[in-house]
Amino acid sequence: MTDRIEQLQTLVQTSQSLHVSGELLDYAGVVEYYPEELVMTVKAGTSVAEVKKQLKKNKQSLAFYTEDDSDTIGAVYANGAQDISDSVLGVQIIDGTGELLNFGGQVMKNVAGYDVARLLVGSKGKLAMVTQISFKVLPSTYVGELNAPVKSDKASVLRDEIEQKLKSVFDPHNKFN
Amino acid sequence: MSVIQELSCALPKGIVITGEENTRPFECDGLSVYRQKPLAVVLPENVEQIKQTLKICKANNTPVVTRGAGTGLAGGAMPLEQSIVLGLSKLNQVKSIDVENQLAIVEPGVRNIAISEAVAQYGLYYAPDPSSQIACTIGGNVAENSGGVHCLKYGLTVHNIESLTMLTMDGEELTLSRQDDGMGLLALMNGSEGLLGIITEITVKLTPTPQLARVVMAAYDSVRDCANAVADIIKAGIIPAGLEMMDKFAIEAAEGFAGVGYPLNAQALLLCELDGTQDQVQAELDSVLKVLAGASTLKVSESEEERLNLWKGRKSAFPAVGRLSPDYYCMDGTIPRRHLADMLEKINKLSQKYQLRVANVFHAGDGNLHPLILYDANIDGELEKTEEFGTDILKLSVDMGGTITGEHGVGVEKLNAMCHQFNSKELEIFHKIKQAFDPGSLLNPGKAVP
Repeated sequence: MTDRIEQLQTLVQTSQSLHVSGELLDYAGVVEYYPEELVMTVKAGTSVAEVKKQLKKNKQSLAFYTEDDSDTIGAVYANGAQDISDSVLGVQIIDGTGELLNFGGQVMKNVAGYDVARLLVGSKGKLAMVTQISFKVLPSTYVGELNAPVKSDKASVLRDEIEQKLKSVFDPHNKFN
Repeated sequence: MSVIQELSCALPKGIVITGEENTRPFECDGLSVYRQKPLAVVLPENVEQIKQTLKICKANNTPVVTRGAGTGLAGGAMPLEQSIVLGLSKLNQVKSIDVENQLAIVEPGVRNIAISEAVAQYGLYYAPDPSSQIACTIGGNVAENSGGVHCLKYGLTVHNIESLTMLTMDGEELTLSRQDDGMGLLALMNGSEGLLGIITEITVKLTPTPQLARVVMAAYDSVRDCANAVADIIKAGIIPAGLEMMDKFAIEAAEGFAGVGYPLNAQALLLCELDGTQDQVQAELDSVLKVLAGASTLKVSESEEERLNLWKGRKSAFPAVGRLSPDYYCMDGTIPRRHLADMLEKINKLSQKYQLRVANVFHAGDGNLHPLILYDANIDGELEKTEEFGTDILKLSVDMGGTITGEHGVGVEKLNAMCHQFNSKELEIFHKIKQAFDPGSLLNPGKAVP
């Protein structure tokens, strides 16, 4: 399991250009799930269906909308917006230099350091290779109707500029696309 | 011209505060062991004045420490010697309320409780409720991603912010919203401790006021049983509005101060609040009472007066402990719930080792610990001993899979502890994120990231 992480680190280090996907990652499965903590940690290639199956056994559910159960959690995270980031607690990533880094954690309250785990939500896989995600889950009775989020693409020169700078923070050699 | 002269010329009278006596009230925040007077304090009345201030500070390479109400507990708003303090308390207007969409647009200096007061007439409130909510400002709440007693069910600040407008150090305006397609910049601003930008306007989400709230008080003869009950409530599929735990020392202190009827012979006490419609509360209450059947004392509030009374002890726990000691030091680690009992045992052992008393008050529902270490700063070396004790607790929190700070922030206080939680590469990423927003490192430099 750790071997796969090392392989992925080497892959990032030796590649000029990478498009992260579930197939590329080939890294799936539930890492840790304590129902009484309302937290699940999964490898990013785990399918939404698998996550839901595990949660259902404990009458728990995801608190965000997912479109297709065959999607991976990593893809949902990369393409998500704030509705998903509300559930995110922590990530493990491999940055563009091949470093394995951890941000956030498995607890609901955590204000140590910038909230990188939530910053990377919606980054479309262009900042880093996300390998593992921890997220909050809820007893199913507390989850209301979930709808697809409405996203608005308000162009702003300053926002683009900041996003560009943040990309080079995580991916200085511009490998992830 | 000096930066103070420039500011004084550019801004109307009364905005720039200078001089030993006048700046003294701003020399620290809620963590008063760290103090430093700034060059000057600027108290702008509008965004234009903030922009002017930033422009002058940038030209003079003068750091800017943004401040809300100064209630922070980690020294995040403590001035730097060569900095100005930018106090936003005068920007205190609720600009508009959108009842239908349950949103309010507010200025950063609006006090947390003032939002709830302004929208109460519509049956709404602003959910996050840090203990300092009568004084702390919403801008400060965003900067710290503040929590409170009710965030187990209603979320932290980050979950209750719809959008915000900020200024970069260059004075450029940026609006970030939940609907943005792209990186999670809005979430990033929450808890950024004034290092990335100056927040000038916030749209908060409002929550319908629950029809009913009731609190269950459960006392236990064993700390472990009490801690286990916390996990059992969640396991039973209940998310209480609040779930708080106190140890024997904290119970005694709170009862001695507030006299609310906590059982003094108990080793630990749980307060579990349930809210919603009559039916929801009754259903949750039935489940919770089953889980708590092993308690030595069990009491359910029968009236709003009784509910508030039961909370009064918990809410006054900090000042109550303050009566018993010249000084106390409040910690803020968070751990996975399942380790609560082990953590309490370990803190007790450390208390014996350091010969310092500890009162434990926990947001048990979300694993957020507030051990209060009692000490006397007038005794030589006792503050240092206390800080060492605190560091041990934070290390334990990280080892148990938790964090050094759940809701108070890093500020200046936990800079060393950050190194237990993050390796040098991770810290480097943090520094680079700051550079992406503030290349000249003028916004609250030296805080939050070692």
